[in-house]
Amino acid sequence: MLTAAKQQTKVLFLSVKYNIMREMTNHVTFLMNIIFMVLNNATFIVQWLLLFQLKSDIGGYVLSDVLILWGLAASTFGISHIFFSQAFKLPYLIMNGKLDSFLVQPKNVLLAVISSGTNTSAIGDLIYGYIIILIFRFSLYNLLIFTLVSILGSIILTAFGVIVGSLSFWIIRGDILSQNLISAVINFATYPEGIFKGVVRLTLYTVVPVGLINYLPLQIVLNFNFTSLLIIIGAAIIFVALAFLVFYRGLRRYSSGNLMISRI
Amino acid sequence: MKKYIFIFKTTIMDSLQYIMNIILGFVTYILIIFIFLNLWQYIYTDPEKLINGYSLQQMIWYVILTETIWFGTRNGAIISQISNDIKSGAIAYVINKPYHYVIYMIVRNLGEIAIKFFLYLCAGLTLGYIWVGRIPEFNPIYIPLIIMILISATLINNFLTMSISLLSFWIEDAAPFHWIYVKILLILGILFPVEMFPVWAQPIIRSSPIYVITYGPVKLIISFSREIFTSVLLAQVIYLLGSFLLLMGLYQKGVKKINVNGG
Repeated sequence: MLTAAKQQTKVLFLSVKYNIMREMTNHVTFLMNIIFMVLNNATFIVQWLLLFQLKSDIGGYVLSDVLILWGLAASTFGISHIFFSQAFKLPYLIMNGKLDSFLVQPKNVLLAVISSGTNTSAIGDLIYGYIIILIFRFSLYNLLIFTLVSILGSIILTAFGVIVGSLSFWIIRGDILSQNLISAVINFATYPEGIFKGVVRLTLYTVVPVGLINYLPLQIVLNFNFTSLLIIIGAAIIFVALAFLVFYRGLRRYSSGNLMISRI
Repeated sequence: MKKYIFIFKTTIMDSLQYIMNIILGFVTYILIIFIFLNLWQYIYTDPEKLINGYSLQQMIWYVILTETIWFGTRNGAIISQISNDIKSGAIAYVINKPYHYVIYMIVRNLGEIAIKFFLYLCAGLTLGYIWVGRIPEFNPIYIPLIIMILISATLINNFLTMSISLLSFWIEDAAPFHWIYVKILLILGILFPVEMFPVWAQPIIRSSPIYVITYGPVKLIISFSREIFTSVLLAQVIYLLGSFLLLMGLYQKGVKKINVNGG
């Protein structure tokens, strides 16, 4: 089992390596996508500078906390879209019957599908996350914690993407539902948890798990707490298990589009 | 002209088939407004307090209306299709059609967003009324003038967006430029009124397209004044002309770079 996992990881990294090499065929476009994404994320600093001029704390956060939250959201999004960008395009692949070529491969179908593409601009997101942590919380210890929670957050985000994307196996217009739920995670991820109250806050830890992807990891970066880390690890395991379960259940309902395509 | 009216009509008929998709797309729009409702309610500890001349009610209405303009008039076709037509070479097949490619895309876009904008406006007005009550100081007598300003704002935004898409003639992927344009519009025009910015930055924003695309039209809805109307109208005429000339100039230059290899 350990050998199989090792081989699967090797295939995953090779897949991402070749995805990036393919994207790099046009160097200018590749670099522009990354640099402009860093700038794109940085524009939101203006928004928070303005808001913090009006009030010194927002939802219990100070300016640096919100910027670290932004950095964390960017790196989480970055890692999941570098390694598993196709997880967020599952509805399109399912609805257009484009899973055929993955079904005949000898490796794990879900991992092969979700790692078959890389979003170049996500590299810019990941870089932005590290720029923020280097500016506001520079230390080797903080870098390690930041990396750990970003990886865990990206695993939960990807698994969530697979779960809601797999709904297209059952639901017509599942693509819109999945798009809405993923965009909910992304939108909530960059605003302080403290501005939301009651049922909404509960929703952010369950239906739209942005609390597990970003809010709790931020607390770990700001003030390490082993229990919170265990909760995130536990949540990551549960979400991954659910993702595999829902995807393979749905795959039984999959019907081919009879498209003759080649994957190079 | 007749053919463009026909294209406009058929696109509207076509978009009527996808009303359910538009309505399902409301979720993200409602979510963003909901986030801002919470954010501003947190910042305005006292709802009667004025921040830079805006009450909580006016601020929420500002965000709802700018987001409505943004969500209701954005269209993937003028962002991605023009770039894809250029990148794939499909543009070579459309430039010899009996219409002007740029005008065709403008008219098609207007047809696609007409129904969408109306639906978003209805949703936005309903949400705003439920959450914060009626728009303060709104006078229905100004509706025709506001509609005129809104149409011009949409056209200017379309011309600038299409101009960015046409950059694909020179660089393979214009998407990064779209991100920056959208973010500038979002931060400087959609999320905050000009008065929220430092005094030194306000004249710069007021002379930028942001003033005529988002701030100007919405300011006229939440607090109409003859002075603002005149200044927005004047600025729109200049930007309308300037952005159209830029669009046509870029197209004329770019189209010369097309190589038809046959086959």
